[in-house]
Amino acid sequence: MSEIKFEAISSLVDNYHDSAQETEQVIDEILDDEHLSTTWQQYHLIGDVIRDEVSSALQLDLSSQIAEAIADEPSILAPIASSKVFKEQNAIKAKIVQLIKPVGQLAIAASAAGLMIIGVQQNTADTGEVITPSQVVQTKPLAGFANPVSFNYSQNSQSQQKQAVLEQRIKQQRRFQALLSDHQQQVKLSAVKATKVEKEAISTSTK
Amino acid sequence: MKILPFKLPFALSFLFCFFSVAINFSACASDAEQAKASLERLSKSLRQLNFNTSFVVVKNNQAEPYHWLHGVVDVKSEGENNSEAKIELEILALLNGPRRDILRVGNTVSYIEPEYAPYSITSAQISGPIPAVLGRDVSVLHDNYHFVSVGKSRVLGRAAQLIRIVPKDTHRYGYWLWLDKDSGLLLKLAVVTRKGQLLEQIQFTHLEISDNASENLKQLSVTDLPKVIELSAKDDNTQLAWQVNWLPRGFKEVKSDRHRITNSKQAVEFMLFNDGLIDISVYVNPSQEKQRPIEYAQDGATIVLNNVENNIEVSVVGKIPLSSAKKIVNSLSFTQTTIN
Repeated sequence: MSEIKFEAISSLVDNYHDSAQETEQVIDEILDDEHLSTTWQQYHLIGDVIRDEVSSALQLDLSSQIAEAIADEPSILAPIASSKVFKEQNAIKAKIVQLIKPVGQLAIAASAAGLMIIGVQQNTADTGEVITPSQVVQTKPLAGFANPVSFNYSQNSQSQQKQAVLEQRIKQQRRFQALLSDHQQQVKLSAVKATKVEKEAISTSTK
Repeated sequence: MKILPFKLPFALSFLFCFFSVAINFSACASDAEQAKASLERLSKSLRQLNFNTSFVVVKNNQAEPYHWLHGVVDVKSEGENNSEAKIELEILALLNGPRRDILRVGNTVSYIEPEYAPYSITSAQISGPIPAVLGRDVSVLHDNYHFVSVGKSRVLGRAAQLIRIVPKDTHRYGYWLWLDKDSGLLLKLAVVTRKGQLLEQIQFTHLEISDNASENLKQLSVTDLPKVIELSAKDDNTQLAWQVNWLPRGFKEVKSDRHRITNSKQAVEFMLFNDGLIDISVYVNPSQEKQRPIEYAQDGATIVLNNVENNIEVSVVGKIPLSSAKKIVNSLSFTQTTIN
């Protein structure tokens, strides 16, 4: 049934229609049905693209939208993990990776959108420095873990912790990428000065 | 009389030793001379030849392919005597992913990148994966690096000479260059640690040298480039409330300013240093976190390192070893306790 409708829309878009009555009927259906009206829109867009009539203002820049959507997401209410928990987390990293995979993929899509570096390996474990817990951590001493609670509860809090770790990783990755691209940008701009200096050197040596 | 038979061989061997040392020494000296000559030839070739080449940057198990064109054309200068002048034309394009092109016509370089609207700057060098200094005056590297001519090998199907640019201290990486015997051009470049561990390499995959500049480049010479942005020198020397007290020898301050990082919108105080070959960026900004241990990421030879101490975030970016980056971070001193 719906396929017939899609066909009708398609022929309408292409300006082929059998009878005025039928056309009217299809248009009414489109107006009523949200799904059909998006199809109408999409067919037009497809047609525009094929005919190369898409205005340059139209940019399907989904990456930035995704990144924004993620940035706007409310932060997840996870208990703030202490450094000790972090270390344990690292030890069972392999397991975490499996569990967080779906979220991780989204994160990669968002963070890779901006820049060309993707293969950044991170090293936080071997800094050789004792991680001193910050004030915030001390005032909220692991409320969730001290309580002997049901299986379900501990599962839940664990996954929240994983979320927190993941969030941190994503943030860190973004920070690194932002710094790296800014560094490259600054180096490019500094070439202006280098050229000026060179020119001055040449002009003074010829004088 | 009896001693003589002993003395003569001794004296002879001493003489022999002396000569061999002298020969060795002169060999070393000629090695360095040869290396220097090769680098100077490279610099000249990069500026004067018409070439059409492709290379791949390999780092972190990834390959980035580039296409690089360079040529020299005659243009009628608009000066009073209508004399002909030569200008350099250059195109460097990243072939994978979003478009990243660098165009150069003489002293104007245009960058076409996804992050920014296209722009041009006044510069005689492009900032790409290949260190710009290789096409400029390599003698600026003398203070901090040795040049060593190592041996011959075959790269890209051509006879190549391996030249090493070896740092004089342990705080930076070495660069190995394989140069074409025929043209003097670069065929391969590797960034290696002191222990010889490979961090990043550029392998050329195609090289064509012609008498005339290619059609693409000739078209470039008549193309309108994006508007040149003027950078005032005044912005380059902002007085900041902190200073870097340690850098590897030979690094000079290029600029210091306050700006916003495009990707994160973070306002930072910034200093850029350069030793002729590599650039080091230092960023300082206030942070909401009180403390964060040192974290770092490695992109090929480039390290990005960052930590927070007393609500101040310090970051270092550059092609330097981890130990150097840490040392730089630790050497920072603040004239005020808090910056804003």
